[in-house]
Amino acid sequence: MIKPLNVFVSSGLSHHPDKRQIEQSVTDLLALDPRVKVTMIPNLYDLRPDGDAYSQLKALDDDFIVISWMFQRAAHWILDRNGVLGQTGEVEFGAEEDEDADELEEDVLEEEEKQRVVDTLDIPDRSIYCLQFQHPSDAQHYVNEVVRIAESSLMQWISGTPDQSQLDRFLNAEQRNEPELNAVEEKAGRRWYPVIDFSRCTNCMECIDFCLFGVYGVDTQETILVEQPDNCRKGCPACSRVCPENAIVFPQHKSPAIAGAPAETGGLKIDLSLLFGAPDAQEAAARERDEQLMLAGRSPVEESGNAQAISMEPRQVQNVGADKDDLDQLIDGLDSLDL
Amino acid sequence: MTQPLVFMMGEFPAEIPTDRQYAKNHMWAMSDPSLSSTNRFGFTAYAVRLLQDVYFLDWHFDAPAPVSEQQEIGSVESKKAESSLYSPLSGEISTFNAQLLADPSGINVDKYGEGWLFEIQPSDNQAETLLSAEQYVDHLADVWVITQRTIKGQLND
Repeated sequence: MIKPLNVFVSSGLSHHPDKRQIEQSVTDLLALDPRVKVTMIPNLYDLRPDGDAYSQLKALDDDFIVISWMFQRAAHWILDRNGVLGQTGEVEFGAEEDEDADELEEDVLEEEEKQRVVDTLDIPDRSIYCLQFQHPSDAQHYVNEVVRIAESSLMQWISGTPDQSQLDRFLNAEQRNEPELNAVEEKAGRRWYPVIDFSRCTNCMECIDFCLFGVYGVDTQETILVEQPDNCRKGCPACSRVCPENAIVFPQHKSPAIAGAPAETGGLKIDLSLLFGAPDAQEAAARERDEQLMLAGRSPVEESGNAQAISMEPRQVQNVGADKDDLDQLIDGLDSLDL
Repeated sequence: MTQPLVFMMGEFPAEIPTDRQYAKNHMWAMSDPSLSSTNRFGFTAYAVRLLQDVYFLDWHFDAPAPVSEQQEIGSVESKKAESSLYSPLSGEISTFNAQLLADPSGINVDKYGEGWLFEIQPSDNQAETLLSAEQYVDHLADVWVITQRTIKGQLND
């Protein structure tokens, strides 16, 4: 018996009736399709990693699909951070046409020279397909894409000679008589935190140097990670501006570039921001972070006459250049031992 | 009111009325005497010519709210372009034009009147940073070359 493909429909935060409607229509259609097992879950970004929804997601070994209002990158790396790992499944729905393919190739060639964190990670050989709800849209489009993925996923997993009758039954499946719908009810309060896209991250550590709220940390492999997501100051996207690889995503941010939009889109429209008064990215980031520091009752980072000053001044400035005493010599000695 | 100044953007005459002040980020500013020092802001003909038909306008927060100069306050999307929007001054934004949020085409229909964007109560001395119509036209002469380069540069990408 061929296992049905799991599809999770993650509801959005918006109360817009059209948005609720599309979620419901897609879920209802999928609930009647025997090739698919559909489960409704609350918003993927707000859910706690130790809750019911993630328990279910973590228990899966096979390919599965998630449909949410977030960009594919955002959804994929949120899952990764919460312990649900997989290869990035290719989604055809909503893909841009390849007019810009030639220019993109040049960019890609440059990119291949950098080592990305994802190359060092141990990711299981199953695919996670992240579809994005777009508004307005037609429910059948999503269902068609889900079925396409189900078929291609099935083809990958068949080993040996498939039983033709089984295959036929799958491809020409009749609708269920009764819809089969699962749902996870879970309270999910609004959260705000960065999501690292490890396919772009090079572990340069700019973000951990920049954020003074303790959001970032390193894991046992000395790789950057979002250690204290709830320390993040609500609405603040400052760190995403200092990342040289645009690897930091804030899925709920209004600006698509920060919310995880793919790099290629937006090429058809001219960006006038620099003409309309945009500050330099580093400047903007430092200012946003200082606003948050002040709101938190802390003092902003000292401007040492240099508008680009981002890191803290050295502490105990009066000791710099002073003679080293025995204790200093000992500590320096430890450094050179390379323990 | 005297005749507006005109800045030629290539073949297109951009009208710059002399009855108001301007900010370098291509917004005009007018004081409403009945509202003391509050300044009402909107897009200049230069900005609207670059945008063409405006489809979507969004502000990042609700009014009233404090803002600092150059702070990102919203975004605009049009037929040919998109941009983030930045505050021309430090102060407090007292109102956003609500009608415009429902239908941003007001910007194209009446950019210097009903298509105003927001009202700001500027902090001390901020209003002094605004330009006169003549100064703004001089500024346009400086940035016109950069503007063209920006657009051509992006089209060739």
